[in-house]
Amino acid sequence: MKELFLVVHSLCTGFYTTLKHIFRGPATELYPEYKRPLPARSRARIILTVDPDGRERCVACYLCSAACPVDCISMQAAENPEGRRYAAWFRINFGRCIYCGLCEEACPTAAIQLTPSFEHADRDILKMVAEKEDLQVDHCGKDPNYNFYHHAGVADAIRPKGGHVNESPPVNVRTNMP
Amino acid sequence: MMPNLIIDNKKIRVAKGTRVIDAAESAGIYIPRFCYFAELGAVGACRVCAVKFIDGPVEGIRMSCMVEAEDGMVVATDDAEAVDFRRHVIEWMMMNHPHDCPVCDEGGHCLLQDLTVAGGHGIRRFAGKKRTYADQYLGPLISHEENRCIQCYRCSRFYQEYCGYTDLGVMGIAQRIYFGRYKDGVLENPFSGNLIDLCPTGVYTDKPSRYTGRRWDFERTTGVCTTCGLGCSIMVSARYRQVVRLEAAFSRAVNGAFICDRGRYGFSWVNSENRPRQGRVAAKAMAPQKAAAAAAGRLDSLAEQYGAGAIAVAGSGRSSLETLAAWMDLCRRRSWRGFFFDDLAAAPAAPAAVSGLSPENVVSMKAVESADMILAVGADPLGEAPMLALAMRQAWRAGAKVFAIDSRDLEWPFEFQQVVAEPHEIVDLLSGIEPENEIGGNAGKHAGKMAAIQDQIRHSRFPVILCGTAIVDQSTALAAAGLVKRLRKNKKDTRLFYTLPKANTFGGLLLDHRVQPPDELIHAMESGEIKALVAVESDLWQNCTDRDLLERALNGLEFLCAADCMATELVSRADIVIPVSSVYEAGGIYVNQEARAQWSAPAHAGGTPVRITGAGGHPPRVIGSAIPGGDMPGAWQAAWQIAGLAPPAGPGEMLEWMTKTYPVTAPVKTMAAQGVRIFPLQ
Amino acid sequence: MGLWLTGYAILMIKIAVILTGVLLLAAYLVLLERKLLGRFQARIGPNRTGIFGLLQPVSDGIKLLTKEDVIPQGAHRRIFLFAPAVVAATALLTFAVVPMGPDLHLGGRKIPMVVTDMNVGLLYVFAMASLSVYGVVLGGWASDSKYAMLGSIRGAAQMISYELALGLSIVPVVMLAGSLSLVDIVDAQAGRPFILVQPLAFVIFFLSAMAESKRIPFDLPEAEAELGSGYHTEYSGMRFGMFFLGEYVQMQVLGALTAVFFLGGWRGPLLPAPLWLLVKIVLVVTAMIWIRATLPRFRYDQLMGLGWKFLIPAALINIVITGFVMVGI
Repeated sequence: MKELFLVVHSLCTGFYTTLKHIFRGPATELYPEYKRPLPARSRARIILTVDPDGRERCVACYLCSAACPVDCISMQAAENPEGRRYAAWFRINFGRCIYCGLCEEACPTAAIQLTPSFEHADRDILKMVAEKEDLQVDHCGKDPNYNFYHHAGVADAIRPKGGHVNESPPVNVRTNMP
Repeated sequence: MMPNLIIDNKKIRVAKGTRVIDAAESAGIYIPRFCYFAELGAVGACRVCAVKFIDGPVEGIRMSCMVEAEDGMVVATDDAEAVDFRRHVIEWMMMNHPHDCPVCDEGGHCLLQDLTVAGGHGIRRFAGKKRTYADQYLGPLISHEENRCIQCYRCSRFYQEYCGYTDLGVMGIAQRIYFGRYKDGVLENPFSGNLIDLCPTGVYTDKPSRYTGRRWDFERTTGVCTTCGLGCSIMVSARYRQVVRLEAAFSRAVNGAFICDRGRYGFSWVNSENRPRQGRVAAKAMAPQKAAAAAAGRLDSLAEQYGAGAIAVAGSGRSSLETLAAWMDLCRRRSWRGFFFDDLAAAPAAPAAVSGLSPENVVSMKAVESADMILAVGADPLGEAPMLALAMRQAWRAGAKVFAIDSRDLEWPFEFQQVVAEPHEIVDLLSGIEPENEIGGNAGKHAGKMAAIQDQIRHSRFPVILCGTAIVDQSTALAAAGLVKRLRKNKKDTRLFYTLPKANTFGGLLLDHRVQPPDELIHAMESGEIKALVAVESDLWQNCTDRDLLERALNGLEFLCAADCMATELVSRADIVIPVSSVYEAGGIYVNQEARAQWSAPAHAGGTPVRITGAGGHPPRVIGSAIPGGDMPGAWQAAWQIAGLAPPAGPGEMLEWMTKTYPVTAPVKTMAAQGVRIFPLQ
Repeated sequence: MGLWLTGYAILMIKIAVILTGVLLLAAYLVLLERKLLGRFQARIGPNRTGIFGLLQPVSDGIKLLTKEDVIPQGAHRRIFLFAPAVVAATALLTFAVVPMGPDLHLGGRKIPMVVTDMNVGLLYVFAMASLSVYGVVLGGWASDSKYAMLGSIRGAAQMISYELALGLSIVPVVMLAGSLSLVDIVDAQAGRPFILVQPLAFVIFFLSAMAESKRIPFDLPEAEAELGSGYHTEYSGMRFGMFFLGEYVQMQVLGALTAVFFLGGWRGPLLPAPLWLLVKIVLVVTAMIWIRATLPRFRYDQLMGLGWKFLIPAALINIVITGFVMVGI
């Protein structure tokens, strides 16, 4: 008897709960009319950021393209006049991208970052293929301080050997003479 | 006695003198190492191959590369103490290692990187400063980034001990140990490229392919080096439709673990912008197939006009065996004037190599290292087949005596005694060497030195006679074979080694021993007997000494067709150009100087490199599955196209056709990884 | 002859009116269900096509008609094409015996507000309900798909189990009305609807009928979570639409039969008779949507247990009690 009561009671509670929702009103936000501000870390369109000193962060190390599970990133590394490794070209096929963010995690220089901007669908598949110019921005993105070349330990036109964080001056053949 | 030992609970039986690190590897247990390299021996410098000896003659933590396997040893590679030891070794190596993996070309195939990750080291705990080094300019082929060094000594050991060059080495003390040259400058060692392969991290990296890509992005396959006749194994890396880098691939029989710089860097022609990539008929570009059809038409009408004897084919030993077979057979079937073999200009004595070698007296290059007496006649290994010089040096290091009979001023990286004799004198000198009697023949003023050579041969266990084919003539090469025969008859295990100029010089002569030298071709062209020439991967200009004559001869031609993957002089003069795919795209069989046929696998599918189609920038923005410039036929396919026939459907059918048409090539069907030796049918 | 022709014309008109009404209602029931479910789940539901999404059924129809009609490679072609029609047709045919109102007198002619007043109307209803399962079974079998096959097997088993309870639950109603004709049953409720005298029969009928029409929580034959879409997994385009249509027509059938058997059919004060029937149908359907929004799907053994161990015994007991009460009276 008590069991029957329990069954009826729980059934009624269930029906009452669903009924209550009818009068609660919808929680829906109508998308194109209202655009919810997304958190900075939400993952959509990919950008290539710059160092705090305004230089390209990307060193074309191929780690993002290796991490990419759908092979949508391709690039060619080269050396620029400052002696830095950079991407001669850098292409992301957004038609393939699944916005998983693994490229951002793989990036050792904080260059490649995902942004909340997601409205770039297109019917022309070629318009979804972004080249380096389309990806580059002039800010540091989510990491405003990191500068890979302060720590790298490789010499370039800006920073000589021994000029990086926590380095002693360079040794050469002559300084080794007794 | 073969020692029995236990490594990681596996019972292992190895040859006496095997080091524990190798014993473990033979059982499939990989012990980490930085400094140890089988060819260079052990020095115990890096301390990362530490394992725990639990029981046996030695106990405790020891370096597995420094301990020889002995009976009763019980070794644990995964002992907690050993693992901890190795982890600390890696951590203190990383103390000074720069934070530059993203911009380092070694990243991705870096031994240090792999072991650091394997050892679990992530964050540098040491708060002190990192030592840095000034880098040096080491020439156009090798980049130097000394910061990355972990002091394994592989480079200096290879450079000075293995190769015998002294301009690079180790300097300094304590924290300031420096590996480099005494001053900036181009490395003198013609094997210096191996430093790139040897360095366990990125101190020495490949300069021509700097920043081109990561190893994981490369299409990699083992191929055969086509630079000289040795047929060394190479690892071809290709990316974005161009060959990026060649490295040494391990070959037990041919080159061991190294290759020379000529082989390593001699491939830039394949990526060249000048390389013929489109068919050309009288300065008009068209598809290769259409160019071949146009050439077929011209040849047919010329044959009608002048007779089939007015048409000739020029080929060379840089073609694959398939290509040579296809064109030789075409020549024969069409009753054309003949197949002229370019290599005979570079190596007039080459036919002797095919007739002189036999399964009994042939020797692999790796086996040359175990010779205890080497006599080189008319051969300059360092210039003609550099890896042979390295093999000779290893023999010399092991105590072999080296002699040379040559007129040239030879410079080899080991000690040798030279009999300075003109090439025409060598026949007499060789035939004078007798296994038992006094020195015979007319040695003349060389009698003393020749007697010493003969004496040395008599007292040696495993002498090798090295014979060049470039400066000597056939009689000398046959005299070398005769000498070997005499010695062998006298129960002396003597071996014969010829040097040949091209990867398939042996193969071409194997298919047809009567191929004609290019001189005859040039004379026939000049006299007007030959009206049309089809040059297949051959450049008459390269080996021609009388270029005025060649100029006149070519001007006398009515029709010149070139099927080539290189931008040669003949290609630029040809009326019709048929571009063909290179060895890296089509693959092919190459028979080296010791009759070893080896398969060179294609590294990529071919096509115009992205670097060219994209003009240095990003690839063209088009969608499609067709490969730009991917319609080039293999050079063997062009033989059928030019005859207006459909070529065999694929490499498999081609092999079938070749072995049927040229029964001498039948052994290639059972080719193993190490290749198979082919000798002429008796 | 003229008389016969007039009768025929009247019949055609009746059929046309009922078909149009039923199909139109089916389309908008879909919208009603989606809208209501949306509100139950604090959403809006379809609102993009037309004002309040009122044109949604039209756009759905256009979509279904223009979509590719995919036939799987291994399917039994003829049966695969035929099965959806069975489901839709049997559901529509049931409406032939549902009375829409009292007899109409036009120009001295008595026109019954039912397509055909069969004296075995009830049996006809059951016959049609049983036939509809053929569509499910054949469609699932002909698809050559494991999910569809499993769905159709479940459909057949469920049908057999609940057909019994459905039939037995109506017996007291027939006993009270003394007729198998649906018109007579409605007439018998002139005083009071049977729901008041037969509440247990109502509950059993309602549950079994819901199971017959494969509504949540009895939608095991199409269980999306386990079987993709069950028996119609492989269907697309308008053939899928036919299954869909059949399901919503069946909901109306269920609403109409519940009204006829227990809620007094078209009877009601003030409003015209067909409108009362419509109101009652919509009420029953709304209740079913509410149930769908509240209850999860049964487990298979629970479904069988409910049918065999509870509904059938309860229906039998109800018949006996009804009999005793009637004899006692």
